[in-house]
Amino acid sequence: MLMHLTLFRDGELRPLDIQLPPPAGLGLGIDSWEGASVSTALQYAQRVFEPNLGYSLSCRRGLCKLCAMRIDGEVKLACTVPLHDGIRIEPAKPKLALHDTVVELSLVREKPKRIKPGRTLEQTAQPQ
Amino acid sequence: MSESSSAWDVIVLGGGAAGLVAAFHARQAGASVLVVNKGLVGRSGATITSGGGVSIAGQSLRALGLEADASDTEERFLQDTIVAGSWLNDQQLVESMVTGVGEEVGRLVDWGIKFTINRRAPGHSSGRGIHVSGVDMQRALTRIAVQAGVSFREDFQSTQLLRRGAEVVGVLGLDRRTGAVDSLYGHSTVIATGGATSNWSLRTAPEELSGEGQRMAVEAGATLIDMEMTQFLPCCLAAPAIWRGLQFPWILGPQSGVHAWLMNRFGERFMARWDPTRMELATRDMVSAACATEVYEGRGSPNGGVYLSWKHLPNDIIDHFPSMSRNISADWQWEGFDMTPLVERIKQGYAIEVAPAAHFSLGGVRVDRGTHTGVPGLFACGEATGAMHGANRLSGNAGAQVLVQGRVAGLAAAHDARQRRARDRLADNHGAAFSATVAPFEKRDGIAPFELKEQLSQLAETSLGPVRTAESIAQAQTALADLKNSALPQLACRTRDLMWNRDWSDALECQAAFTVLESALLGAAGREHSIGAHQRHDHKATYSGPLTHSLIRFDAGKLVRHTTPVAFPFLARP
Repeated sequence: MLMHLTLFRDGELRPLDIQLPPPAGLGLGIDSWEGASVSTALQYAQRVFEPNLGYSLSCRRGLCKLCAMRIDGEVKLACTVPLHDGIRIEPAKPKLALHDTVVELSLVREKPKRIKPGRTLEQTAQPQ
Repeated sequence: MSESSSAWDVIVLGGGAAGLVAAFHARQAGASVLVVNKGLVGRSGATITSGGGVSIAGQSLRALGLEADASDTEERFLQDTIVAGSWLNDQQLVESMVTGVGEEVGRLVDWGIKFTINRRAPGHSSGRGIHVSGVDMQRALTRIAVQAGVSFREDFQSTQLLRRGAEVVGVLGLDRRTGAVDSLYGHSTVIATGGATSNWSLRTAPEELSGEGQRMAVEAGATLIDMEMTQFLPCCLAAPAIWRGLQFPWILGPQSGVHAWLMNRFGERFMARWDPTRMELATRDMVSAACATEVYEGRGSPNGGVYLSWKHLPNDIIDHFPSMSRNISADWQWEGFDMTPLVERIKQGYAIEVAPAAHFSLGGVRVDRGTHTGVPGLFACGEATGAMHGANRLSGNAGAQVLVQGRVAGLAAAHDARQRRARDRLADNHGAAFSATVAPFEKRDGIAPFELKEQLSQLAETSLGPVRTAESIAQAQTALADLKNSALPQLACRTRDLMWNRDWSDALECQAAFTVLESALLGAAGREHSIGAHQRHDHKATYSGPLTHSLIRFDAGKLVRHTTPVAFPFLARP
């Protein structure tokens, strides 16, 4: 099972091909990679081939959308897409790429200068 | 890697519903508030995966001007919760939830959160409560916290509470984006980190629920309560891997009141031996225990589960199901998946192999109804806490819990911060906290953290599943102690990358796993009877003896178990 990864590292996109061995006997509880998700494959690849491989994963059921990636050219949720031979995996949006397949998806992120404490009770305006 | 000299009034650890509700209320009370989240706020935590809505008595809904069952009182809600919990609940917490949730649902109305009113609610004696999807709830609460002026620190894995003497003065952790180990100072800290079920292999919960909150709290002097109690959701898929842990068969079956049949490998409907009246529609703790017992006694399916069958039902019932369901589309899209292949198999007459999956931490940080942990400056709310649900949780009660406890914790923390803010807040444990957090990163050769993580989740599966024995618990305790001495200090990172170093994060999760599993095993070993989620195969008889809570404290560097009798201040045990 061959995966073609495009990873964002040190400010540029770099290709990395990973050939996954047959999954039987790997402790994944699966006989074929077709029954596993892209997330499971990335998890396995980080553990065995590429310790610094960055990927995001939370709910594993297509709800949180944290694992959004470009898969075979389309932005999809990695936890819900079954693996196939020759699959292409890239950051969802190169402009938002942070590290490998991880992209900026924060809903609440402030500009760093604003993230500091020190607003005292007196200075704080009541919301609304 | 520097210490900040200024402090937040309130730091909330966790950005799920409990944390965001706490943050909102602390902010409303005038506090500066920082929500610290291991992942992204609104894209992580268990709230998103929740489908249960919010339990609330019909009486309380009617008080809000909504149409609901008038005969459903707060007293009935309290009674259902305690009976389902096998009388192991902390009744003070339950009373606080059933009487407080009305005001909180009123706030959801004010916030414009859309919900529907339940007609039926599994396990409840009334069609009690409201339905709002977890995704919608999380989205709305994220918006409300942002509008209230809450600040956020995301991708921050909290590892150690900072202390000065006995007081908690903040938190130290790993910024996963940058690899910085940072200290965040706050006058009051709220633990809302959720449960610890990601330490089990088959689970419904998201990846990040590894129990850092429980570990940090007990090491700071708080007490963990009933940690042996983990709720398992019956009838989840174990295979294929991409569907592992999905509760779709449970939803298409018993949870929705659909009479699918559970069978063992002999085709026997084994629920008859547990609850001949309700059968598959019995409470979740009983169905899980029954399924696990079949497997334990050698009557399971080939992949270690049991069979769930719809074959006796006409296909029409399956075909009509999506039209009654709020979560399943007409073409069988559910959550992120197309379930058509599974449904086709069911309609062809095949049974589906299902197994109980770790779903909810019933045990956790001990709090009173004011969400105090007993540690100055430290509060806790939501699934991170214990004893609200006793030995089994009813559907929707987690939603009620997070709203009520979240508000109480936010207000209490804001009030506490006002009392505390003049005090000296420099931590006296910073050095040790820092060292423990960077230790795995500084070690180059040793054990890869994922290997230990795998071992620990297997240990949890074999000793802390729905069915336990003295022997399996004792073996796991020995194995865990061995791993703590031999493997934990040997954890090493294989890469020097600072950004998103998964080995490092995994190693820190292992630290939490040891506390969670050791506490659960201590509780499970000491509780020598079967009750709710804790079924002892070596003590199967119905238990009517005195009930105690398992209390775990950190004493001279060791986790030690004590007990205290369960109190019945609102509802006497028959």
